[in-house]
Amino acid sequence: MHTNDPTSRSRPPRRLLTTFGVGWVLAFALAVPVRATPTAEAQDSALLVLAAASLADVLPQVALAWERTGGAPVAFSFSATSRAATQAVRDPTADVIVSADLQWVEWLRERGAVLAGTALEIASNDLVAIVPAGASGITSAEQLGGVTRIALAGENVPAGRYARSALEARGVWAEVEPKVVRSGSVRGTLEWVARGEVSAGVVYRTDALQDSDVALAFVFDSDDHPHIGYWAAPLVGSDVPDVARAFVAFLASTEAADVFGAEGFRLPSESFDAEQARSGSSLGVPGVASAIRLSVIVALLATLVGLVPAIGLGWVLARWDFRGKSIVSALVLAPLVLPPVVTGFLLLSVLGTNTPFGGALASLGLPVPFTLLGAALAAFVVGMPLYVISIRGAFEAVDSKYEELSSTLGVTPRRTFLRISLPLALPGIAAGAVLAFARALGEFGATVVLAGNVEGSTRTIALAVYTLLESPQGQEQVWLLVGASVAVSLLALFGFEVLSRRQKQRLEDRHGR
Amino acid sequence: MVADAFRLKLELELQLPGTDLCVSLDTRTKAVAIVGPSGAGKSTLLRILAGVERRARGRVTFRSEVWQDSSSGAWVSPWERSVGWVPQDVLLFPHLSVRENLTYGAEPEASVTEIADLLQITPLLDRRPKRLSGGEQQRVALGRALIAEPRMLLLDEPFSALDRPLRAELCQVVRSWTLQRGVPLVLVSHDEEDARQLGEERYRLSAGTLSQED
Repeated sequence: MHTNDPTSRSRPPRRLLTTFGVGWVLAFALAVPVRATPTAEAQDSALLVLAAASLADVLPQVALAWERTGGAPVAFSFSATSRAATQAVRDPTADVIVSADLQWVEWLRERGAVLAGTALEIASNDLVAIVPAGASGITSAEQLGGVTRIALAGENVPAGRYARSALEARGVWAEVEPKVVRSGSVRGTLEWVARGEVSAGVVYRTDALQDSDVALAFVFDSDDHPHIGYWAAPLVGSDVPDVARAFVAFLASTEAADVFGAEGFRLPSESFDAEQARSGSSLGVPGVASAIRLSVIVALLATLVGLVPAIGLGWVLARWDFRGKSIVSALVLAPLVLPPVVTGFLLLSVLGTNTPFGGALASLGLPVPFTLLGAALAAFVVGMPLYVISIRGAFEAVDSKYEELSSTLGVTPRRTFLRISLPLALPGIAAGAVLAFARALGEFGATVVLAGNVEGSTRTIALAVYTLLESPQGQEQVWLLVGASVAVSLLALFGFEVLSRRQKQRLEDRHGR
Repeated sequence: MVADAFRLKLELELQLPGTDLCVSLDTRTKAVAIVGPSGAGKSTLLRILAGVERRARGRVTFRSEVWQDSSSGAWVSPWERSVGWVPQDVLLFPHLSVRENLTYGAEPEASVTEIADLLQITPLLDRRPKRLSGGEQQRVALGRALIAEPRMLLLDEPFSALDRPLRAELCQVVRSWTLQRGVPLVLVSHDEEDARQLGEERYRLSAGTLSQED
C-alpha cells in the first residue's frame, strides 16, 4: 500500500480540510440570509423591534392587535435586554427597543440612541420564588437562607439585581449568597428548579407561569426591590420615527394592557421612582484573573480526562472494522454539530444529582452540576469530536504494516500498540490534545447549562465575558478577557500546527522513497 | 537436510480485487524459491504464511502444526508463528535506531554484534532508518528477522536494492545461516539469479497458480 498508494498518508489531513471547507461554505451560506432578513424587512417598512427575551410570548400578540388597527408589520428580535441594547447602538437600523429595565434605557440615552423623555413604561412584573412542583415548605424569603442551592439570574441582569435587593431587604442575603448559582437564562433557572438540581429559584411571575414543573412558592414584597418595569422607546436611528413612536404609544395603551394582563403581567406602576431604578444595587464584576485561571484549569482537566478515551476511540475508529462503526463514529462526532446548549441539557439529564448516575457520583462526593467537575465534563464532551478526529487521523497515518511486522516478530497486539502505534502517532495525539484544549477553552453553551455561571468555580473566560456583556459598566473590561481568550486560543492552534507537522516528519522514514 | 520430518503444506484460495490466488504446495524441501512477474501474488502468499493476511480460505500446515484451516476455523496468530518475515517494503520502525530495530523482537540476551558483523551493518547501529540507503535498510530488515531466531524465514525481494557482488555475498550469508540452524526458507523474487542461488526447489507463480520448475 505504501509504494502503490501515495495518497494513503495525505488522506486524513485532506479529510479534515474538506470538513473545514464544507463548514466554511455552510457557515457563510447560512449566515448571509439570517443577517440580511431583519434589515431587509426594516427597509420594507416593517418595524424592527429589539425586545427583552422575557416578552417573547406576549409581544407578538400585542403586535397582532397593533396590526389589526392598521399598524405597519412588526418584526421582533428577542434577546437579553443587555444584548438588545448593545445591538441598538451598533445596528442603527432598528426602530424600537423594549427593555426589561430602565437602566439600559438610560444607558442608550447616554449614547444618543434614545431621546430623553420618549421612553414609556408598558407593563410591570413581580418577583417570585419558585420551587420544584410538589415541593413544599418554603413560603417566605427568610426560609431561603436554609436551602442548599438557589438559582438566580446573572448579577448584572435586572432579575439578578432585583433578587439580591429583595433578599438584602429581608436580611437573608449573607446566608443565601454562598448557595447561589447563576444561570445563563430564565429557561436555565426553570430547568434546574424543575429537575430539583436547585431547591429554589427566583424569577419573574410571568416566567414561573411558563413551566408546569415548577411551583410558585411566594411573591416578593414589591417594596423590597426596585420596581420591575418594561420600557419601550423609539430609537433615534429609525427610518420611520413616526411609526416607531406610534408603536411605542400603542404598547402603552389600554388595548395592549389587556394582552399583557392576560399573560400575567401587571399594569405600569403609577408610583414609579426613576431614581430608585437607576441606582439599583452595586454591580458584580467577574474576576478577570480568576476567569483566566479557571479556564485553563477546566480546559486542562478536560484534556487530561479525555486523553485515554480519545486514544481508545481514535484507535478503534482507525483500525477496527465492526458492525455499527458508523453509529459509534456519529455519536462521537455529535457534539460537534449539536448546539452546545443541547449537549449541556443532555448531560444534565444524565449527570444531574437527581438522576441515578449523577446521584451516585454526588453520593461519592463528586456532584456534577454547578461544580468545576461539571465545567470540565462539559468541556470534555464538547471537545471530544476534535480530539478523536485528530487522533484517528494520526493512527490512520501510521501504516498498519508496521503493526503487522511487529506481530510477526512475536510481539502481541497490546505490546505492538504500546511500542509501535502509540509512539508513531504521538505527535498527532499531542496535536489532538492541543486542539481539544483550545476547544475546551472556548466552551460556553454546555457549561452554562450543566455547570452554571458560578464565580470562582465555573465562571470561565467565556462565561465571564457573557456576564460582563450583560452589564452597562462591563463593556470596556470585556476587552481584557477577549484579548486573553484570543491569545491563548491562537497559541494553542499554533501548537497544533507545529505538532501536526512533526507527526508528518516522524513518518517520513525511508530514504529516497 | 530432508532427514527430519519437515513439511510445509498449503491449499489456499484468495480472491480480492487485483488478486486471484489459487495455490497448492506440498514440500519437504527447506529452501523454496518462488519466481514470477510482479503482481502475480508472491507477496500476498508470504503475507498469508506470516499470518498477516487473514482473508485467504484454505489450509496451511507447518511441520505438524495447523496454522490455518478455514473449515475448522483454526488460526495461529502471527506472534505465535515465529516466522522471520522480510517484506518487500522493508518497514524499519522509523522511530527506533538501527540497533533498536534489530533487537525489537529478540530475546534480551540476543547479541547484535554477531548479526551486524555478518550483514556488514556494524557502523550503522546508532543511526535512524531514514539515514540509511535502500540497500542498508534491506540488510537491517534481514538482520531484524534473523536475530529473532525464527522457525521459518520468509524473504520478499530481500536484495533488490543491492548491487550484484554484495547480493551474491548476502545470498551466501543467508544460505549458510539457514543451513546451520536448519531453518526453512521461502524466498519470493522476480530475480531468477537469487532464486537459483537460494532455492533448492523452484516454483513459478503466474496467473495465480503455482507450478514447479526444474
